[in-house]
Amino acid sequence: MILDELKQAVMDGDSDQVKELCQKVLDEHLNPVEAVEQGLIKGIEEIGRLWTEGEMFLPDVMMGADSLKIGLDILGAELSKAKAAAGDTTSKGKIVIGTVKGDIHDIGKNIVSAMMTAAGLDVYDIGFDQGAEVFADKAEAIGADIIGASALLTTTMSEQKELVEYLKSKGLRSKYKVIIGGGPTTQGWADEIGADGWAETANDAVTLCYKLL
Amino acid sequence: MKALDEEDLRQIHETSLRLLQEVGIEIEYGPAVKALEDAGMRAKGQRVFFDPSYVEKKVAQAPHDFTLYARDPRHNVHIGGDDVAFVPGYGAPFVIEAGGTRRPSTWEDYLKLLKVAHTCADLDLSGGMLVEPNDLDDRTRYLDALYAHIRYSTKVPMGSSYGVPGARDTVELLAPVFGGEEALKEKPVVITLINTISPLKLDARQTSAMMEYARWKQAMVIASLVMAGSTGPATLAGALALQNAEVLAGITLAQTVNPGTPVVYGSASSITDMHTGSVSVANAESALMNVATAQLARFYGLPSRAGGGLTDSKGVDGQAGYESCLMLMSPVTAGINFILHTAGILQYWLCMSFEKFIMDVEIAGMLRRFKKSIDVNENSLALDVIKHVGPGGHFLTQVHTKQNHKTEMRKPMLSDRQSFEGWAKTRLSTEAQATALWKKTLDAYQDPGLDESQQKQMLSYIESRKKEILK
Repeated sequence: MILDELKQAVMDGDSDQVKELCQKVLDEHLNPVEAVEQGLIKGIEEIGRLWTEGEMFLPDVMMGADSLKIGLDILGAELSKAKAAAGDTTSKGKIVIGTVKGDIHDIGKNIVSAMMTAAGLDVYDIGFDQGAEVFADKAEAIGADIIGASALLTTTMSEQKELVEYLKSKGLRSKYKVIIGGGPTTQGWADEIGADGWAETANDAVTLCYKLL
Repeated sequence: MKALDEEDLRQIHETSLRLLQEVGIEIEYGPAVKALEDAGMRAKGQRVFFDPSYVEKKVAQAPHDFTLYARDPRHNVHIGGDDVAFVPGYGAPFVIEAGGTRRPSTWEDYLKLLKVAHTCADLDLSGGMLVEPNDLDDRTRYLDALYAHIRYSTKVPMGSSYGVPGARDTVELLAPVFGGEEALKEKPVVITLINTISPLKLDARQTSAMMEYARWKQAMVIASLVMAGSTGPATLAGALALQNAEVLAGITLAQTVNPGTPVVYGSASSITDMHTGSVSVANAESALMNVATAQLARFYGLPSRAGGGLTDSKGVDGQAGYESCLMLMSPVTAGINFILHTAGILQYWLCMSFEKFIMDVEIAGMLRRFKKSIDVNENSLALDVIKHVGPGGHFLTQVHTKQNHKTEMRKPMLSDRQSFEGWAKTRLSTEAQATALWKKTLDAYQDPGLDESQQKQMLSYIESRKKEILK
């Protein structure tokens, strides 16, 4: 049964298998909505459940999220068509995420990114060492709901403030919720710079997004 | 203690050389790439591919050991051989107060810690950025921080790794106190922490600082922090091979700039908590990497840095105690020479605690005694006094006891050895005892003073630099 196979492939973090199965969905004109909702998503949900129980680990989550993304990319066009035909245009939420300018630490950000993907958000990861304008441009381009900025160094935290100021200066501040995170950051810092939220762990960041959406 | 045999060391060494040659190191600082290209290395953009024989030749030019010269010669520190230097915690942006409140660290914390570090005999250096003074401008706080070390302590300080300006200002501030810039080149008076970025990168800020310090022949710890499982492979052998490649690249660059520059082979390698992705700095695996680091450094004939009073705990509790002891004892027993983060650290390297600081100094004191091992000679074997006391007697009133116990047995400063009844009168926790003790230590601080004209000279230099930087 292909839906079970899709679920299992995501749980295994097996991108090649996901690719092959999704191609099969297209080739054989199977229902793409079903393939995503009853296959791929079930896989990532199961990973989330097992992670919470301590049975699965971070590599499972991150590789599962990567394979999910690959599957969604392949089925994307057909999925939108099918959804549009059914009058369904909902997204759980779009987030632009990245590590701020001057900072090349991106592992924590990648973890947050994967956890958000696993939780069903559309995540647009712009990478590391990115200036405020890159965050803003991407958010504008994709119609984001949330912008997430990470900083690991005490010397780069100021760039999170810079981001908030930049959005203000461009008249974009009210369009997006801005959330921050990273080792030296705190709720106090988020309040001080006028961010909408702060989270200490990847899991908290997911909860925060759903609170803000 | 050993974690690797000769064959293991050789294999790690060869894997590191292959990484350096086949994958190369991404160096985000043009002048460093150029210096290595001029020395015959192949480069492609920022990626430098190291020739193994060149790496071996350069690493061999670094001194086996060296002395750091302090303002008070009694605090000179020998780095290398069988010696171990205990150095306070470094760079935490938070303080956790007794009772568990976490808050951003301040300049006031910094000055208190500096005075406590100066006063604690078991700490060999006064340290570096003891905590981040969040209330000072982050562009110039390194100037205030270094000035405070020289003004309030006569132990060897650590320098700023904040690019060429940070290194240059460190040298400019120290030179007048130590007989001028040329004198500095003969005698290292400061040691600076230079970190690689794992995997396989050197950033511009620290690399440029490293090259500047090398020009002045000032000492550096060149350290890699591989997090096994995330920024490095999950297997410890692979993590060590990666760490080794990065450190060798850094040392090769320093020796290319100025052969003979004193460097310490450094490791802050640790593991990733595979459930959350957070770093874990205190565990059996990290302890093994401390031991392996001592062996790798000896393999290259270099002094070594690893370990510390490290813990993942968020409070001064049982976890903080057992983890810190493991992470201090493993490097000491393996022969590590420089233990940064000896005192004060909580929650990875993120937090400083005054209470933990005192607890860790107690552990360091015990380990210093432990390292001295058991002295066996005619006097210590005590045959005569045992004969004299004979079966069923006691040794408390023997001259031999009175003469020897103070040097043989270390008196604890924190550990509670009272009877239950004695302890039960106050029932103080370790944390509460430590609060009293750090306050007492701070009260006991004696200002070593600094020549007025030198103070003025330094302060006016700092003032003019601040104007330039903040304009």
